[in-house]
Amino acid sequence: MANLNIQNKQERTYEAIVVGSGISGAWAAKELCDLGVKTLMIERGRNVEHIKDYPTTNMLPYQFEHRNQLTEDIKKENPVISKCYAFREDAMHFFVKDKEHPYVQEKPFDWIRGYQVGGKSLLWARHVQRWSKYDFEGPARDGFAVEWPITYDEIAPWYSHVEKFAGVSGNKDGLAHLPDGEFLPAFGLNVVEKHLQESLKKNYGNDRHMIAARMAHINGSPEKFVEQGRTLCQSRNLCQRGCPFGGYFSSNSSTIPWAMKTGNLTLRPMSVVHSVIYDEEKGKATGVRIIDAETKEMEEFYADVIFLNAAALNTNAILLNSKSDRFPEGLGNDNGLLGKYIAFHNYRARVSAEYEGLSEFTTSGGRPVGGYFPRFRNVYKQETDFLRGYAAGFGANRGAYADTDAIGMELKNNLLNPDKYGPWRVGSHMMGETIPKETNYVRLDPELTDDFGIPQLSVSVDYDENDEKMTADYLEQMTEMFEKAGFTNIRTSDSKQAPGLDIHEMGGVRMGKDPKTSLLNKNHQLHAVPNVYVTDGACMTSTSTQNPSLTYMAFAARAAHHAVKESKG
Amino acid sequence: MNRRIALKHLAMVTGGIALIPSCDFSSDDIIAAYEKLQIKASEKELLGAISNTIIPAGEIKGALDIEVPDFILVMVNDCVKTEDQINFMAGLRAFPEFVKTQTGSSFSSLSDNGREEIIREGLIVETEESVNVKYFLQMAKRFTIQGYMASEYIQTEVIPYSLIPGEYNGAVMISDINKPQING
Repeated sequence: MANLNIQNKQERTYEAIVVGSGISGAWAAKELCDLGVKTLMIERGRNVEHIKDYPTTNMLPYQFEHRNQLTEDIKKENPVISKCYAFREDAMHFFVKDKEHPYVQEKPFDWIRGYQVGGKSLLWARHVQRWSKYDFEGPARDGFAVEWPITYDEIAPWYSHVEKFAGVSGNKDGLAHLPDGEFLPAFGLNVVEKHLQESLKKNYGNDRHMIAARMAHINGSPEKFVEQGRTLCQSRNLCQRGCPFGGYFSSNSSTIPWAMKTGNLTLRPMSVVHSVIYDEEKGKATGVRIIDAETKEMEEFYADVIFLNAAALNTNAILLNSKSDRFPEGLGNDNGLLGKYIAFHNYRARVSAEYEGLSEFTTSGGRPVGGYFPRFRNVYKQETDFLRGYAAGFGANRGAYADTDAIGMELKNNLLNPDKYGPWRVGSHMMGETIPKETNYVRLDPELTDDFGIPQLSVSVDYDENDEKMTADYLEQMTEMFEKAGFTNIRTSDSKQAPGLDIHEMGGVRMGKDPKTSLLNKNHQLHAVPNVYVTDGACMTSTSTQNPSLTYMAFAARAAHHAVKESKG
Repeated sequence: MNRRIALKHLAMVTGGIALIPSCDFSSDDIIAAYEKLQIKASEKELLGAISNTIIPAGEIKGALDIEVPDFILVMVNDCVKTEDQINFMAGLRAFPEFVKTQTGSSFSSLSDNGREEIIREGLIVETEESVNVKYFLQMAKRFTIQGYMASEYIQTEVIPYSLIPGEYNGAVMISDINKPQING
């Protein structure tokens, strides 16, 4: 019996365990496997194999029973996930339905989740703007949260590392606060977007810019991606279904098959991580407890190094649930700050308008991308009555439409020969930095559990006065820039949507220099348990304005290399 | 359409029983497929005639030829709020009386022009008692257009739909666009 146990334990022992197969976890796994580390990647959801498990990827519009609309029954059953723009008939199967994994909303919070191999990397918006030194230096300069323990210069080579592999389209725009990277050719802007660029230059000099967003799409040099089995983006704009070309970066198309090919990766789907095992004698973590999602039985796996990449809030949940005599309040939680200082991006506000000019032009073809306003508020110094600032998306579009006033043959001929052109339509949405605060937190509910007997996560996150001021400023400034560009019929809106729907929740296990005020050190190790690394959104000390995935990828790759270097002593 | 295939399968396993209510117009039974609408076969037939007036057959097929009424009913049954379903069905049921009052005859006995005329009227009617008729016709027209244009027939045979839209051009001169006219 004893021998059997030893054998069993050996079979369950790896050199590294990565919890989560989304954008950051799969990067950690890829790097570890490339460095020869026998790695177990654990995923709570089902397996999704590239191409094979994209059932809707080549479906034509008529093949969706409701032409991609949600039914009323689905909306009623899923009030939270139905709010997500990508939760439609073509991609519903990649989202967690409301009843599948309940959580407590102490304040309204729309928790958008993707539980499958690849996680939300199948569904993400694919924007990959780098952070600059002005982002990393934000908390220190402005006196909020804690100082980041790392600098842009330390991360820059890792940005390059992941950009080259993922494939990033973009222009070298030469902006100090949105550094250039390893770019493939950018997708083009249209005449009205270029018109806005010129207007900004004329009216704001070098202070405000609107550029082609940097996107994780292969747009050129396909030979560099042959080894990954990926090729050029075809501008289908159906990314959320999974891309048969591997045109955009996802764990499924890129890092996971790559790691598999090394022979060092073991993938274990349908395994819900319950907690990290801490060995008091050894003074370190020795593995994880999982619950098999099918049998509901608890099992253990062991490794020298553990990476937590379960997505920001679930990484918090796992650590909070990893209780031991040494860590009664959750693993590594000596200062009581685990789960606190949650922040997100403020996506509430939009401005839309029309443009009567350039009416001789329209567009043709497709592109997976639009324009991007890098942050222009408080970049180099504090200028406004609120802290930090916002980036913004921007797009202009115009196409032929049919006059549908008539009925009968006249209507039919109009529909079959659309030839009407309205004015250009332009639109922008805000992506605001929020300030991490101790009062924005997640914790484990003391009573409620999920189907696996794991305590439910309880979320208490809200906007504050800084967000209100920033929202008002965005609406005012974007309106002004639109007016100066000659746009008309300008409409502003503030959806007041709950936090969470931005799908950029961050923090709770923040990095910092001081173990008294942070959970992780500059190498993403828990201060108190250095063989546990956190490199997903949970590690974020502040949020800045950029879409965060690229930074998680760079963090994961950097931390994986650190872990290997440490183990080799 | 999945629902219709499912019903056929049901009919097969139940020896054809399920097929009877949806095909036997003479008995005017309620059609089981659209459980939230409780629509009768005769009412569906009227809806079909209306959709086929909105988009008639010509050189290329019309709404009825490609089963647009089924699409309308799927959408109203599944994707429309309960109160709007009630208004839609009330309007459909009030439509025969509306036609009778306005024209003195039934919709089916009107000429093609007469049918177009009464639908055009119904779409903009402002009287209190015809509010449901107007609501119904507007929704029927909207779903007729959607169901027709986003149909297998249109998207494969008339204006083939490409999942790959081609390289982006952000400055196309409208005067340079030269698409062949499709004659309906």
